[in-house]
Amino acid sequence: MEANRYLRPATLEEAHQILLQDPKNVLLGGGLWLKKSTSFANALVDLGALGLDTIKDLGDVVEVGAMVSLRDFELSPLLKNIQGGILIEAVSQIMGVAFRNSATIGGSVAGRFPFSDIITPLLALETKLVFYPHKEMTLNDFLSFKGRLSDILTHIVIKKSQGPSFFKKVKTTALDFAVVNVAIANIDGKYRIAIGSRPSVASLASKSMEVVNNAKNLSNELINKAAELASEELLYASTGAASAEYRKALAKAYVKRGLEEVSK
Amino acid sequence: MKVNFNLNGRYVSYDITPGEYLADTLRSHSVLSVKKACDEAACGACTVLLDGRPILSCSFLSARVEGRNVTTVEALQDEVDEISDFFADEGADQCGFCNTGLALTILALRKELNNPTDEDIKHFVAGNLCRCSGYQSQFKAIKKYLEAHK
Amino acid sequence: MKTKVVNQKTPSVDGKGIMMGRPAFTDDLAEANSLIVKVLRSPHAFAKIKKIDVSKAKALTGVEVVLTHHDVPRKSFTRAGQGYPEPSPHDKFILDEYVRYVGDEVACVAAINESIADQALKLIEVEYEVLEPVLDYETAYENKNIIHPEDGIHEMFPIGFEPKKNVAAAYDMHVGDVEDALSKCDVVIDETYYTQAQAHAMLEPHTANARLDYHNRLVIYTATQTPYHVRRIISQTLDMPISKIRVIKPRVGGGFGGKQAIHGEFFVSLVTLKTKKPSKMIYSRQEVFESSYTRHPMRIRMRLGAMKDGTLKAIDCYSLSDTGAYGEHALTVFMITGSKVLPLYNKVDAVRFGGRVVYTNHVSAGAYRGYGAIQGNFALESAIDVLAKRLNIDPLELRRKNMMEEGETSPIFAIMGEGTEGTAMDMDTCKLRYCLDRGAELIGWKDKYPFVKVGPNKVRAVGMAIAMQGSGIPYIDMAAATIKLNDDGFYNLTVGATDIGQGSDTVITQIVAEALMTSVDKVIIYSSDTDLTPFDVGAYASSTTYVSGNAALKAALKMKSMLIKEAANYLNSKEEEVVFDGEKFTSKDKVLTLSDLANRLYYNENQHQLTATESYVGHKSPPPFMAGYVEIELDTETGEYDILHYVSVVDCGVTINPMLAKGQVEGGIVQGLGMACFEDVKYSNRGKLNSNSFLYYKIPSMLDVKKLTTEFAESFEESGPYGAKSVGEIGIDTPPAAIANAVANATGVRINKLPVTPEKIFQGLNKGK
Repeated sequence: MEANRYLRPATLEEAHQILLQDPKNVLLGGGLWLKKSTSFANALVDLGALGLDTIKDLGDVVEVGAMVSLRDFELSPLLKNIQGGILIEAVSQIMGVAFRNSATIGGSVAGRFPFSDIITPLLALETKLVFYPHKEMTLNDFLSFKGRLSDILTHIVIKKSQGPSFFKKVKTTALDFAVVNVAIANIDGKYRIAIGSRPSVASLASKSMEVVNNAKNLSNELINKAAELASEELLYASTGAASAEYRKALAKAYVKRGLEEVSK
Repeated sequence: MKVNFNLNGRYVSYDITPGEYLADTLRSHSVLSVKKACDEAACGACTVLLDGRPILSCSFLSARVEGRNVTTVEALQDEVDEISDFFADEGADQCGFCNTGLALTILALRKELNNPTDEDIKHFVAGNLCRCSGYQSQFKAIKKYLEAHK
Repeated sequence: MKTKVVNQKTPSVDGKGIMMGRPAFTDDLAEANSLIVKVLRSPHAFAKIKKIDVSKAKALTGVEVVLTHHDVPRKSFTRAGQGYPEPSPHDKFILDEYVRYVGDEVACVAAINESIADQALKLIEVEYEVLEPVLDYETAYENKNIIHPEDGIHEMFPIGFEPKKNVAAAYDMHVGDVEDALSKCDVVIDETYYTQAQAHAMLEPHTANARLDYHNRLVIYTATQTPYHVRRIISQTLDMPISKIRVIKPRVGGGFGGKQAIHGEFFVSLVTLKTKKPSKMIYSRQEVFESSYTRHPMRIRMRLGAMKDGTLKAIDCYSLSDTGAYGEHALTVFMITGSKVLPLYNKVDAVRFGGRVVYTNHVSAGAYRGYGAIQGNFALESAIDVLAKRLNIDPLELRRKNMMEEGETSPIFAIMGEGTEGTAMDMDTCKLRYCLDRGAELIGWKDKYPFVKVGPNKVRAVGMAIAMQGSGIPYIDMAAATIKLNDDGFYNLTVGATDIGQGSDTVITQIVAEALMTSVDKVIIYSSDTDLTPFDVGAYASSTTYVSGNAALKAALKMKSMLIKEAANYLNSKEEEVVFDGEKFTSKDKVLTLSDLANRLYYNENQHQLTATESYVGHKSPPPFMAGYVEIELDTETGEYDILHYVSVVDCGVTINPMLAKGQVEGGIVQGLGMACFEDVKYSNRGKLNSNSFLYYKIPSMLDVKKLTTEFAESFEESGPYGAKSVGEIGIDTPPAAIANAVANATGVRINKLPVTPEKIFQGLNKGK
């Protein structure tokens, strides 16, 4: 691609300043699909010198630097221990190993890709995003945040929750984008249901969650109702990959199966 | 700008443009084992090893290999010679365009995975697409190669 | 026949070098400092170029040439790589004032580097008159929008070319009276099937480069399946003597028919001829999808008539084929849809095949492995299962009762050739019965048909199909081989036969090594260079083993007799008394090694060079046969399914190289499964191909097919080299019908439109709910 400069700032402040200078100064994550969306950049800004590539155990949360590769994310024992390994199950289905060696978790999250397989389970867990300078928000808030963010995503902070989980990526071939993906976490008896690639980016199915979280135990009838709600309360649309109607049917089927699985 | 890195055991300093990708830099310096098949990180043919780990050189900015080690099959001749025998034995060698990228992925697999199951092996090499072989012969060759190195 | 090299496990002659990274492919051999050639492509599906201004592009520093339709010869040709005169219409100009699909060629630039070439493309100003495109092939016939209104286009001989009606070709034939036969049947089924425009998706993008050598001749390196046809087409269109052109085919990274036609060769030739500098063009992956070729999508109406007892009496097949913007391979693919499918059920009273091939403003369709047979097979083998269900007869039984057997024939062979009349032939080898029975055994048909419930929402089911193909084109395809003896007693083998990764270099070497009783490393093969190798039509129609292999065998046998003659001379014996074992000649008590003989012939006594050249043209095209069986596991709530196991039992005659033959079958099966299950072609409503990237067009990965089992039937085809037929295409034909049949067995849902997607199954399961 055409670019005027490649920069590797030594501090976050420097990086932030560069991004503010010119909308054509582009932040690099893994940069794997950069040339597909951008034919010209003024400066390419690499955060590689800022120590953002570590995964830290901070007691009740795990802090993941934005420049951690998807592959390092996948191989982390710390992350595997969270909620039955749902994050690993999801990220390991993204493209191939070589792809995941370059793609970064920060790029995947900040990009808010609608087909993202990692955002959906992160949303089903308690996930917070840390930006420079000095901003924190939940993943859920970030996903509905409108407008352009000039802050730099530096860390993803995930609560070390335990309990059963369920993840399903519906796809054509193994390396395909998700037709729809479903992540369900049972965190101390409270259920979180996230559905993504509808084709829009993942959302929590809150009405569905309300139904199951207000019940003492989950009967088949209740699970069916929750699944039905999940297929109706969110926006599903048709694309070349699938019709809205089929996406709804898939969401319903897999929310049902997921709830059955995590409530055992 | 210049990028300084270790290419196949030699320190090199190449003139590049900021938006240049590694596959193009390597091919323009006669490292012709690196193949461009899709140019969008979707097929694995352009795989090279960066500090021993497989990456997709068609979509990796050359500027980012500064100070690092890039390895291609040119520097792994003995190892690839051996892998090719296992491929020949299973009839897995057809057009060969995916083979150099795949060979590097296999070498990385051997280093990274301990006692992989069949599924582990397939999962590791799945990003190297092949249109000729139907994959089963490749898989058998890889499995036998790994077994020979237990 | 016990052979030492043929049908023995033999590594390919080139696999090692390729994997070890030796420069071998077309772009690896481009000259350094080649001008970079790029093509400006049409954003419209159908338009006329009213004005094109290239002045700004020409003025850009670093741009050497810009070509528009004003700058190139106005002589129509076909891009199809076929024998001359071609059965495809001459409907293409190098550049034209009309553009006929999104991605069609508008102008060409050559610059000193890629960045400048890209910039130059952006500086070309084009004023288009946008025309209404024809984007639905079912409405193309006699559509008021005519895709080829221009003068100067023609067919080479009658193929039914009617461009004013948007018809590229048409054909029909019949044996007996189909309507009469159908009227007498107990059961008639009438089904219509749709197949999609599958993309070859070979890993190496199309590429060509050109230079002038020191004889001032044009030398073209190109990733092609047909170097001789490329040379001829360039010569005829540019009005250059053929003797001034050399075409070399280096290592090719997959073709499957997608490189059996011109791609960038004209552009690099014109740029090099104009600038006197080397030039090269590499298609981007998007260009490979949008601007090379696809499989012909077809709508096929299949009517089958049978009696209650399962005797098939009549087949009526009517097909509409979409050849896209240009007519490469239009007639021939279309005819194979009938000629290499319908003879499977050869004992009917009447059979009819016909239809037409229409132009549309889609990507041009062309040759693709199977070449019509996969489309026809999907229709026929799906219909046979539908018939079996209606008759309440087991689908295997219905096939056993009606399918082709060894020694039989079909009248279709005599009638239908490839663009011309056919060649009558008996099935000297046809192990279809064995293949069908053995395949059923290997998949576990008895215990699994039609389906078995394995969970609350899960079933496992089986489905199958039989298929046939051909081995070269009789009386048309010619191949030749030359063998040269070297000092020290090894051989150079030169053939025109085109290795595109299928292993023809290896297989042909094996045949020669076997005949000369030597080892593969003593036969050094060089192929596909129009200056140095003898003629061969190229790699298509499953011809390299049967046709090119036979030529090589003849040449080897000729060399052998020449050697014996020379040895007899030196040994002062009669030829009949000389025994040759590949390494030495023995006569009574005298011995002469081959090495000694060769050295003497080079240096010492009665010196002369021994070479043997022979050619071969087939008199028949003995079909390979196979039975394909698939087991799937299907989710009855969502329609999703996994491919658990695909069994192939193949009769390809003797396998010259058993492992490479297996590779051909398995590669074909997985490509066929791609077409059956995953590869969906999507156009926008303005005619732009949306599935133009590996991210949106999904070819199978290693994780997508769990298990393949491949076996070969014992079979020896007398007319083939060492008993071989062919194996290059047969593997691709069965998966679409096998999958559709398995899904029908699992769910009762019949999918008639490829690919067989979970959503279609889901819709079928929920119809009326």
